[in-house]
Amino acid sequence: MLTYIVRRLLYSSVVLVAASFLVFLFVAKGAGDPLAPLRITPRIDKAGLERIAEEKHLNDSIFVRYGYWVKDAVTNQFGTTLLTNKPILPDLWRVMKNTLQLVVVSELLAVLIAIAIGVYSALRQYSFFDYAATTFSFLGLATPVFWLGLMLQVLVVQIYLWTGHRIFPIANLNSADPGHGISFVLDRAHHLVMPVMVLMVASIAQYSRFMRASMLEVVNSDYVRTARAKGLLERQVTMRHAFRNALIPLVTVVALNFGGLLGGAIVTETVFSLDGMGLYFINALNTADPYPVMAWLMVTASTIIVFNLIADILYGILDPRVRYD
Amino acid sequence: MEGVMRRSSIALLVGALAIVASLAVGPVASAKPQRAQGGTVVFIHDQEPPNLQGPWVGNNLYATALVTNNIWYGCQIYNDKADFVPRLCVDKPKIVKEKPLTIQFEYKKEAVWSDGKPVTWKDFWATWQVFINPKNNVVSRTGWEDIKSVSRVGTNDKKVQVVFKTQFADWESVVSTGPYAEHIIRGKDMNQMFLNDIPVSSGPWKFQSWQKGVQITVVKNNAFKAYKPMQLDRVVFRYILDTNARFQALKAGEGQVMEPQPQLQIADFLKDKNFVVDQKVGYAWEHIDIQFGPKGHPALKQPYIRQALITGINRPQVAAALYKDIAPGLPALQSHMFKPFEKDYRPNWKVYPFSQKKVIEILKSHGCTGGPDKPTPNNQNIFSCPGVGKLSFRFVTTAGNQLRALTFEIIQRQLKSVGIELVPRFGTGGFVFGTVLPSGDWDLFMFTWVGGPTSNITAKDFYGCGGDQNYMNYCNRKLTNILNKVAVTLSADERAKLLNEAEAKYMVKDVPSIPMYARPIYVIHSVKVKGPVVNPTQEGSPWNVSDWVA
Repeated sequence: MLTYIVRRLLYSSVVLVAASFLVFLFVAKGAGDPLAPLRITPRIDKAGLERIAEEKHLNDSIFVRYGYWVKDAVTNQFGTTLLTNKPILPDLWRVMKNTLQLVVVSELLAVLIAIAIGVYSALRQYSFFDYAATTFSFLGLATPVFWLGLMLQVLVVQIYLWTGHRIFPIANLNSADPGHGISFVLDRAHHLVMPVMVLMVASIAQYSRFMRASMLEVVNSDYVRTARAKGLLERQVTMRHAFRNALIPLVTVVALNFGGLLGGAIVTETVFSLDGMGLYFINALNTADPYPVMAWLMVTASTIIVFNLIADILYGILDPRVRYD
Repeated sequence: MEGVMRRSSIALLVGALAIVASLAVGPVASAKPQRAQGGTVVFIHDQEPPNLQGPWVGNNLYATALVTNNIWYGCQIYNDKADFVPRLCVDKPKIVKEKPLTIQFEYKKEAVWSDGKPVTWKDFWATWQVFINPKNNVVSRTGWEDIKSVSRVGTNDKKVQVVFKTQFADWESVVSTGPYAEHIIRGKDMNQMFLNDIPVSSGPWKFQSWQKGVQITVVKNNAFKAYKPMQLDRVVFRYILDTNARFQALKAGEGQVMEPQPQLQIADFLKDKNFVVDQKVGYAWEHIDIQFGPKGHPALKQPYIRQALITGINRPQVAAALYKDIAPGLPALQSHMFKPFEKDYRPNWKVYPFSQKKVIEILKSHGCTGGPDKPTPNNQNIFSCPGVGKLSFRFVTTAGNQLRALTFEIIQRQLKSVGIELVPRFGTGGFVFGTVLPSGDWDLFMFTWVGGPTSNITAKDFYGCGGDQNYMNYCNRKLTNILNKVAVTLSADERAKLLNEAEAKYMVKDVPSIPMYARPIYVIHSVKVKGPVVNPTQEGSPWNVSDWVA
């Protein structure tokens, strides 16, 4: 197992380096000149512009610039933003915490609900509930996240206009007066309700399908039949023999999805203006500043790699038939 | 076994929620809410400042000015008519000598910093030092580097004398700048100052807290006595980056004031009795520049073709089509030098009324062939002119901007029906402004200049031969001489006369750039908040925050 993990990490490092160079190339070349807004600023200090271009190596080749970035990333915690000289890491840490709150809650709730739906659908295959759950899943998968977010916002505004009560906040992470301690946490939770709902819809749809399929496969397997033949109670058969084994494929899917979401639920965070990883990435891209984009990429890519590894390891632990040699 | 599993699942769930809660507790230290007496106004804005440095490279943003203008308060500020009105100063600054240009102004004795220290000539001197220090990444040194000395008058610490090395016409903007507090910035690296907070204020509000990614809170400065104090207790700038969410949040009462970009959602608020929409034309103007350099289309070096171009574009129709719902009656801009609301505005470009028939006449009279005989919708025949080839021009502008895309569609259709072709070359802002614009490798370029009441003083930068931002490579020596003269003419009336004369006599004939329209600006506020009005300058709507009541 240890050899396997080391080998995976080594492969991943190579992928990470290659990805970092490609992204640096695309952002530095594709997004254009980060000094562009200044070039159309009246009375701009042209000498100052040139000095910044020099200091930040904007006139050097892409390889030299990439080299400076690597140095900065390794020795200076990803360095600073290009124009405002703002340290990148504190901002990244802040948005990561915000994204974690959103993603952990939504994934946790989605998994719990999806498991319940999936198991019940499998046990009552072709029932009304099963059909309803299937329909919901397809709708959930087909509904664009941005549209759902917008519709929820419009609905909340309409309710406010009709009743004078704002059931959920439209945007942002907390109110102007968030309070302290527990009231701050509650205020934050209130603000995350709509984004969590939006994120959950697609996850529930996906996970419940997995759970249903997996459960159906297990309940029809020989060892479950054997358990029944031994005279075990149906509840024991379901929970002890079927359910636990049916969870195995879901664990890997959730781990992979979770790793991806930590990079930021870009659309959800944008629609609800949540100061998370996704919005951070979009803003960085808009300023054509490769440094925060690179920092985001490294964190996101590393998270995905780690969670992929976790998924594989978990699979090995949960399913004794799998061996990593 | 099942019991153990259930217990561990519950423990896992509780643990995860505890972790989430602990992550949420973090930012509370910076929130510091306080109870209001005079009320709170939540100002929803579309961009969060990267820091609070003000006119710094990378942060010359309106979003920052909105917060800092009322902290670094000026000797005088622009009101909603774009006229200077004294604030920290007793009276308007005065020219006491023309050569060398010597200005005097006096801070009121009530002008004090929020920590109780008086605002004096030393603060203005320190500010001058900040702007001329080459180590400081200020966005512009214009005017500051023309100052020879800053001193006090006699023994009066409140009275400041500024002597310029040259005749700098825009002296009033420089001396009106809100000074930095000398006792705060003394010996400090200004590139590292005011990144996260501003410890003192000379204006109606002072900085209180910044919850990054969410909001900045400013509170009433109780030491402010130089002008009417703020009636509100605080203003909270909340940053909602998504356009739709901003409008929805305003409707839902999450904020009371907003300065939206010209967007269609404004139309809803115009009909809503719960909101007041104030709209004016601003200082940002959309225009189409024409390339005169070697990389531009050779046809564009011919004045008759440039004149045909402007005649073939129905500029009033473009303005009307774009803004019919949110700024009905928005006029086409007929001057590059002044905006329609300014007293010196002269419609110099009105000599080019839209006439498709005339375009064809102009082109045919110069021997151009291959185009239509009369304006024809869906025309496919494009003119070719002697020695300059087919009239097919690369039209560059930013991608993803609905208003620009629509403008392009309209003028492309209009010009095509008279035998002139426009080929779109859209790109990201970073690419078109950073790479394409300075390269001169384009034919027509549509973008916005964001100006101010005195931008025309440095019109030489845009239209003078070799001007710093003359990306058109346009050069008319006679015009340049006049524009150079404008930059050193102290009288505003004399400058206006020169600018209008230069534009009417040379620019209108040369057509280096086609003025389209000055962009409307807006402030929307809840009827529960009284006071906000549009200010067309960079002061923003909080210029009169002392009059705001919630």
